[in-house]
Amino acid sequence: MKADAVVDARYKSCPGPLLALVNTVMRSKPGQVIELLATDPAAPNDVKAWASHVGHRVIKVEKENDTYHIYLEVLG
Amino acid sequence: MYISKSLCDRFNNAVIYYISGDEMSKISIIVASERLDKLYPAATLAVTAAVMGWESEMFFTFWGLLALRKGFIPNEVSSDYRRFEDSLRKAISSEALPNWHSLIMEGKKSGRLRIYACSATMELLNIKTEDLAEYVDGVAGAPTFLTSAKDSDITLFIS
Repeated sequence: MKADAVVDARYKSCPGPLLALVNTVMRSKPGQVIELLATDPAAPNDVKAWASHVGHRVIKVEKENDTYHIYLEVLG
Repeated sequence: MYISKSLCDRFNNAVIYYISGDEMSKISIIVASERLDKLYPAATLAVTAAVMGWESEMFFTFWGLLALRKGFIPNEVSSDYRRFEDSLRKAISSEALPNWHSLIMEGKKSGRLRIYACSATMELLNIKTEDLAEYVDGVAGAPTFLTSAKDSDITLFIS
């Protein structure tokens, strides 16, 4: 999947991955896809919980070795 | 908690009364320690709530107020957990955990995190408003904080 931006938050503990993602989302436009790289095992569910609160959408989560690739679609 | 009238008057302008909408989730955290192992859990929850779109407020009282001084860097761990001090420090220096100031600033950037200094403790510890970090929203007494925290969905006391 092609992302408009990649946020590398590997080896960061909670809340680091979410904070890194939020910073990029704030600079993004609706419709853009952001890929978050995280090794924090809570990151996929944390991002989903946040996204459902603020109105964005997690499209897909993949795991490659220890790294989660979390794809977020920025909505309006 | 007794707050002298002169103190109230002195800081009247700095106190921010905040009323949130009914439909919005809200968390209020009282922080009564300046130790690393107390500040991080408190700030992690408060900042995360803020970036999730919640109203979030922290009230720093007693030793917690020490953490609001300009340039403060949390350094000490509670004595029971001193054996973990090195790994905590390592987590911060390697940026696995954000440093204290940038963690708070992430919350402030959301516009939803409010930080109050306890007026009685300021008097007790002789800390002046000019000694407080720039991210402090105001000085509040117990009545102000209680009034604001009354409608919170989650309230925590961390010491």
